[in-house]
Amino acid sequence: MRPLDEKETAAVFEKLFKFTGPNLKVMVERPAVEGPAGDDPGRYCLRLHKNRVYYASESLVRRATNVARDRLVSLGTCLGKFTKGGSFRLTVQSLDLLAAHARRKVWLKPTAEMSFLYGNPVLKSGLARITEGVSPGDGVVVFSMSDLPLGFGVAARSTQDCRKAHADAIVVNRQADAGEYLRNEDDL
Amino acid sequence: MGKKNKVILPPNLPPEVADDEIEVSDEDLEFVGRNREYVGFLTKLDTKSIDRHVKRVANHEDDELEALYEKRNRKPSLLRLKEEEDKLQVDPVDALPVKTLDGKLEYRTADRSKSGDGTDGKESAMGIEDDEKIAGMMKLTKPEKRLKLKKSRKEAKKLAKVEEKGDGGEEKLHSEVLAKVEEDLSAEELFRKKKIRLAEIGLQLLENPEENIKALKELLQICDDEDQNIVKLGLMSLLAVFKDIIPGYRIRLPTEKEMEMTVSKTVRQQRFYESTLLRSYKAYLMKLVTLEKQPSIRQVAVRCLCSLLDAVPHFNFRESILASVVKNISSSDDTIRKLCCEATRSIFSNEGKHGGEATLEAVRLIADHVKFHDCQLHPDSIDVFLSLTFDEDIGKSDVLKEPVKPKKRGKWKNQDGSKEVQGSDRKKNKQELMKKTREEVSADLKAVSFAPDSKDRKLMQSETLTAVFETYFRILKHSMDPSASRSKVNAVSLSCGSGSYPLLASCLNGLGKFSHLIDLDFMGDLLECLKKLAGYSDHNDGSMQNHLSVSERLQCCIVAFMVMRNNLDALNVDLQDFYVQLYNLLLEYRPDRDCGEVLAKALKTMLWEGKQHDMQRAAAFIKRLATFSLSFGSAEAMAALVTVKHLLQKNSKCRNLLENDAGGGSLAGLVAKYRPDATDPNISGALASVLWELSLLVKHYNPSISSMAASISSMTSMNPAHSQVLFSTASPLQAFADLSTERELFKPASKAASLRRKRTREIEKDFVVMDPDQIRKYENMIDEGVLTRKFKDHFILNKGIMENERLRRELNHTMSSISLYEDYKRQKKHKKER
Repeated sequence: MRPLDEKETAAVFEKLFKFTGPNLKVMVERPAVEGPAGDDPGRYCLRLHKNRVYYASESLVRRATNVARDRLVSLGTCLGKFTKGGSFRLTVQSLDLLAAHARRKVWLKPTAEMSFLYGNPVLKSGLARITEGVSPGDGVVVFSMSDLPLGFGVAARSTQDCRKAHADAIVVNRQADAGEYLRNEDDL
Repeated sequence: MGKKNKVILPPNLPPEVADDEIEVSDEDLEFVGRNREYVGFLTKLDTKSIDRHVKRVANHEDDELEALYEKRNRKPSLLRLKEEEDKLQVDPVDALPVKTLDGKLEYRTADRSKSGDGTDGKESAMGIEDDEKIAGMMKLTKPEKRLKLKKSRKEAKKLAKVEEKGDGGEEKLHSEVLAKVEEDLSAEELFRKKKIRLAEIGLQLLENPEENIKALKELLQICDDEDQNIVKLGLMSLLAVFKDIIPGYRIRLPTEKEMEMTVSKTVRQQRFYESTLLRSYKAYLMKLVTLEKQPSIRQVAVRCLCSLLDAVPHFNFRESILASVVKNISSSDDTIRKLCCEATRSIFSNEGKHGGEATLEAVRLIADHVKFHDCQLHPDSIDVFLSLTFDEDIGKSDVLKEPVKPKKRGKWKNQDGSKEVQGSDRKKNKQELMKKTREEVSADLKAVSFAPDSKDRKLMQSETLTAVFETYFRILKHSMDPSASRSKVNAVSLSCGSGSYPLLASCLNGLGKFSHLIDLDFMGDLLECLKKLAGYSDHNDGSMQNHLSVSERLQCCIVAFMVMRNNLDALNVDLQDFYVQLYNLLLEYRPDRDCGEVLAKALKTMLWEGKQHDMQRAAAFIKRLATFSLSFGSAEAMAALVTVKHLLQKNSKCRNLLENDAGGGSLAGLVAKYRPDATDPNISGALASVLWELSLLVKHYNPSISSMAASISSMTSMNPAHSQVLFSTASPLQAFADLSTERELFKPASKAASLRRKRTREIEKDFVVMDPDQIRKYENMIDEGVLTRKFKDHFILNKGIMENERLRRELNHTMSSISLYEDYKRQKKHKKER
């Protein structure tokens, strides 16, 4: 377990910024929930462990140093992992964090929820609502109509284009969804 | 008429006598000699002092008048004569003591000016509308004028005579004065004559325009007069004439080919009439346009142009009228601007008169005007767009008809085909011929028919719309460009005081009104524009200081929502950025500086009507609105509370805010603590807070607010099924309007009620401290004077206490320093002793 170096931090923040926009600052600077309550709760920080990036409070990190490296499985919230090629991928575990700070959102019709959770992209026909001002390539968090985060992905077309788009057109390309907890249980 | 007679008739008497004198008037000596003759056979007091001379003058006048009277033997004039006599007699007597030329002159002019005033008043009384009246009076006034002139000449002579006797050296000067007087008089007479001429011509034209059409030229010539009053009168009478005689169709001058053809006499006459009319109309318009630049005649010219545009928008040269009207549409002169705006509005609303072409032209001209002036215009010039109407059903009736037609035709053909499989070709040919002729006929009919066909109208309408939106977008773009505006801010704010973007507010209004007509392609750019104007920036570093007022920014948000909602059928889009903006603008709102109505409208369109499902956001708004309503006036608070109630009803999960445990439990999300200063409602963590504001608001002095707050805080126990029944129907805007009117009526209305209530209150002595009724009662009972006195007493008392404290402090200070000094002394002594 070690702090990220500059290149890795840039890669992680770049990915996160796609989803959160200016809210990234809030996400990084928010006071920690765990740890000594009251005077100085501390902040959250990013740690790299076995090619995975974890988002954990300072107090938790301090306590985790007691565990041997090969024995430590996980700490805090896993945001994603670095691939062998060196690029960073967000994983489903970061969903809650992204959903809380997301800037672009897409709401799914109840009928399209299952299809998305099976790993399919979001189609225009399944789109119930979309944030104004989405441009292609933006990170988008997918919600159900009852505001439950289901997954996230990358927008395939802008809000404007969505209006005119065909019912079968892909609106969001899936990157991760909550169904992965079942489908890829072993890999997570 | 009675008044006029009074003024005019007096001069009736002396004319004949005066005629005699006119010949002699130049030679003063002769004049005196003749007087002597007259005097000689009348009275023998002739050779006395100058004093008597004056009397003689009077006498001689008397005689003259009597003679005249006898000659004429007219009774009504007698009375006037006598008045005249009195006047004349008085004149010299008054003049006597002054003796100097100046004094006498003054007296004379004063006298004359009196009569002049009378005529002036009369002139103004006779408007252009009573041209006929003028004509009727013409015969009267002409001789009157002459008489008056003569009379004044005589008077002048008389004066000269008197003067002569005083000192003969001033003869020269006197003659000059006389010349001047004559000049003035002749000008006045000329004015009169011209006026009469105007009336005559006008009457002629109205009686028979075909025959007297040439008279238009004369009217136009009169308008070239150097006297501005005449010019004004001429313009107005021409306007009246044109309004009356312009036909209901557009005149098309015959081509040369047509001219060559031999035509009947009536046709030729008609052609001549039309061409003359057209030519003089053109000349008139040109004159108006040139005169419009002169400040003194400007208003009249603009008025003429506007009423022409209003009355005959179908006629030739409409373009030039429109151009000059639009040019004046943002004039700094209020009356001119209003006239122009009214004219343009009437063009927009009475499209039947001109078939919509003028609307398109006007809108285009205004668009160009806005472009030319770089959006620095008066808002009125854009507000005229609001009276535009766009008929969406124009093509629909045709569209409905069209699908029917081909079916029929198909049927026909099928029938024909089945029947005439063996039919001859001749029949087919015949049918084709028939069809062709029918088409030709219908094309001709279309060309001739007055009403434009729906396709053209639709095209025209869409072009109008394009021009309107082009203007609107130009204004928006202009307002977004801070570099261009900054330089102009000073100049404009000094001149009109309505901020740097005078057009923005009316532009937003217009966009709101026509939002349902905006093309989907524009929508993205428009929303981007509005977002920027509303002050949203991706990076919350505050580098871009927004230069728009809070109301304007709120309006931007409203327009964005209206645009979205009106096009909702395409896609349900969540305007997150605008919600963020509204959330932040709530903090910047100041009740006196900003328009409360706009705020209420924003609450209504964005929160009350909008479909909001995002729980975090709803909670953040609920919390902020509750805080907001604590700190502002009752009307704003009411609007906010209505919204809060609505939000709570819609979002049942947000009712956790009403529970009495902070932290929000599992719903609070990632943010465990409420952050009131967050700029994004989604991360403010409002669900972790408690709506403690409501329990304070229950004690609000305004009974309606306190009851509203109470009803909101009792929503905790409500089950979802129940909530549907209690859905309130009043919108925030309504609530705001209700309470703001109530605030004005608060005092007078509740006075009577409080009297009634007083008795009941007296019985039940114990009451809650914050009982609103009670407070209101006290508010009304206490007299203003008593209040002032009490306040005064209170302040005097307070001041006394403060003064007392201050003195005490000083005293203490001095005492302590004295004691210190004494201490010091003692110590010194002590040391010395040592």
